[in-house]
Amino acid sequence: MPEIIVKVKDLSKSYNGIKAVDAISFSVYKGEVFGILGPNGAGKTTTLEMIETLREIDHGSATITNIDVATNPYKIRSLIGVQPQSPGFQDRTKLTEIIQMFAAAYGERVNPRTFLNEVGLGEKANAFVEQLSGGQKQRFSIVTALVHNPKVFFLDEPTTGLDPQARRNLWNLITEVKARGISVILTTHYMEEAQILCDRVAIMDSGRIIALDTPNKLIEALLKRGFSKPPIENKANLEDVYIDLTGKKFKSEA
Amino acid sequence: MSKHRSDSWQIKLYTVWVFFVVNLRRLFRDRVALFFTFLFPLIFLFVFGSLSNTGSLNFRVALINDSRTPLAQLYSTNLRKDKTFNIQSGVSTLAQADSSLSRGEIDVIIELPKGFGQIINGLPTGNAILRYSGSNQQEAQALASIMQSQFSAITSHFTKSGQTLKVITKQSDAHSLTSFDYTFTGLLGFAILGTGIFGPMSVFPELKKMGVLRRLHTTPLRVWQFFMSNMLGQAVTGLMSLGLMMVVAVELYHLKIVGDLATLALYLILGIILILGIGLALGGWAKNERQVAPLGNIIVFPMMFLTGVFFPRYLMPQWLQSITNYMPLTPVIDGARMILTQGKSLLDLGPQLAVMGVWLVIIYAVAFRVFRWE
Ligand SMILES: Nc1ncnc2c1ncn2[C@@H]1O[C@H](COP(=O)(O)OP(=O)(O)OP(=O)(O)O)[C@@H](O)[C@H]1O
Ligand SMILES: [Mg+2]
Repeated sequence: MPEIIVKVKDLSKSYNGIKAVDAISFSVYKGEVFGILGPNGAGKTTTLEMIETLREIDHGSATITNIDVATNPYKIRSLIGVQPQSPGFQDRTKLTEIIQMFAAAYGERVNPRTFLNEVGLGEKANAFVEQLSGGQKQRFSIVTALVHNPKVFFLDEPTTGLDPQARRNLWNLITEVKARGISVILTTHYMEEAQILCDRVAIMDSGRIIALDTPNKLIEALLKRGFSKPPIENKANLEDVYIDLTGKKFKSEA
Repeated sequence: MSKHRSDSWQIKLYTVWVFFVVNLRRLFRDRVALFFTFLFPLIFLFVFGSLSNTGSLNFRVALINDSRTPLAQLYSTNLRKDKTFNIQSGVSTLAQADSSLSRGEIDVIIELPKGFGQIINGLPTGNAILRYSGSNQQEAQALASIMQSQFSAITSHFTKSGQTLKVITKQSDAHSLTSFDYTFTGLLGFAILGTGIFGPMSVFPELKKMGVLRRLHTTPLRVWQFFMSNMLGQAVTGLMSLGLMMVVAVELYHLKIVGDLATLALYLILGIILILGIGLALGGWAKNERQVAPLGNIIVFPMMFLTGVFFPRYLMPQWLQSITNYMPLTPVIDGARMILTQGKSLLDLGPQLAVMGVWLVIIYAVAFRVFRWE
């Protein structure tokens, strides 16, 4: 049985009497990528932010490595890395300086260039964040969330608005993070992404988890219920064409 | 890897230090911020410095009449009507007048001592004493000659020869303040007010809008660390800006620095941090700039007009002075003036430090309470 890192029990949150998250429970194992899927307003961000100590928990509990989120917020924050839905960084500040600041916020002193090189941003070390493209900014944001080597990494819709190369590149990054033994919890609206990246997914709707399993088991279960799809004639789709024409490798200047 | 290390004080202060250094560098890349920090107060210094340097002919005079003679009564009544003399009401004893003179609230004291104007041997006699401070010598001499010619006119009714009514001028030994001393320390207050309050009030909501503070909120960074890095930054840039103003004032407007510069720097840092607290409270509370602007103006404008920034408080009625004594910026400006131009030490500034201390506690208690990261 793999080690449980994040444990969520009966977690609930209401806004003005309306339940945004309704008594959900799940666990996330060490080194696994856990996906939360669901339509707009399902409660994904609210769920993440309660576990991240950013929003007050109404009912239920969340623990990370057995430490209670509600009672030890600062301790929890030093254990997690967070990539918000729309990350913001101060302008007129070099990438190296921002990394130094984030490391300092965690009480760490790091060599920013090593981190930047890891995600192919070495050449941009002295650039300001406002000079980065969307994909570069996303990679940079991930670096700032990992400077302190966290136990859990949260990403809220990390690939929304990215081009296919940047998205693939991000998948590689997340896979590398997972390989370091860090548990990853992410939300996404792209099913293909969930299927490729996630070890297990929870599907949320109206604040409740309506399904939770590995992608393959969820598909099997669906087929068992007698679902069938018209057979696919094409051996490739438009995305394959696009990737083929524009090159599989991500462009760092994209 | 270093969970225990991050709990130590050194590490927590290291965090403050990194934020301070990076944000200081960032400020020097921001032309608008540089303008408002360094140039803007200087522009005001140029404007007000040249205004107060033209010197008004209408210098302020205190008239102390201790003589009961009819001539003295008549003379003082006429003097009070004379537009040239601008006699201040409300100063009635010599002791009062002396202390007003040393604070620069008046320029000259005219004293008609006991027995002035007595008729002796058919001639009016007596010496009027004209006391002035070192900074008003020329004006005092001009006044003295006006008075002497008035006295000549009076005695000419009695005799054609000799002069029995005289004006004696005396330079007061107390070091006295010029009106520029008030202008200058008021402008120091203006600079502290501008960067300390309007700075965070516009920067914090901007950082919130960009999601920067929200992102920082996901780290173990404490509010006090964030505040402290701002306090350090403001103290450093504030001292640089105030120092620059002082150099300009000394060079262009002949500001005389009497006091100890280290004491002044220490006192100003305290003032900067105090006023910054108001900015931290406003900016830390505000969700956006629109929300905070009216509140900011309600707090800033009274301070601008009542604490001695643009006009000296001695021009205000007594009741208003006793209220404005307790506004946070008042002791900053008064104390800075007392150190700078009168050479006072921190020990002399007990009342000012007490008012500042109380405000410091109140303001920062509020700032910590209302702060929000998004
Ligand atoms: N601060 C708030 N105040 C009031 N209601 C809120 C607040 N934040 C979220 N909600 C409501 O809670 C519900 C869940 O919102 P949440 O942002 O968690 O959804 P989500 O699954 O992340 O959606 P999306 O896919 O659009 O990001 C929504 O109905 C939303 O309107
Ligand atoms: Mg969301």
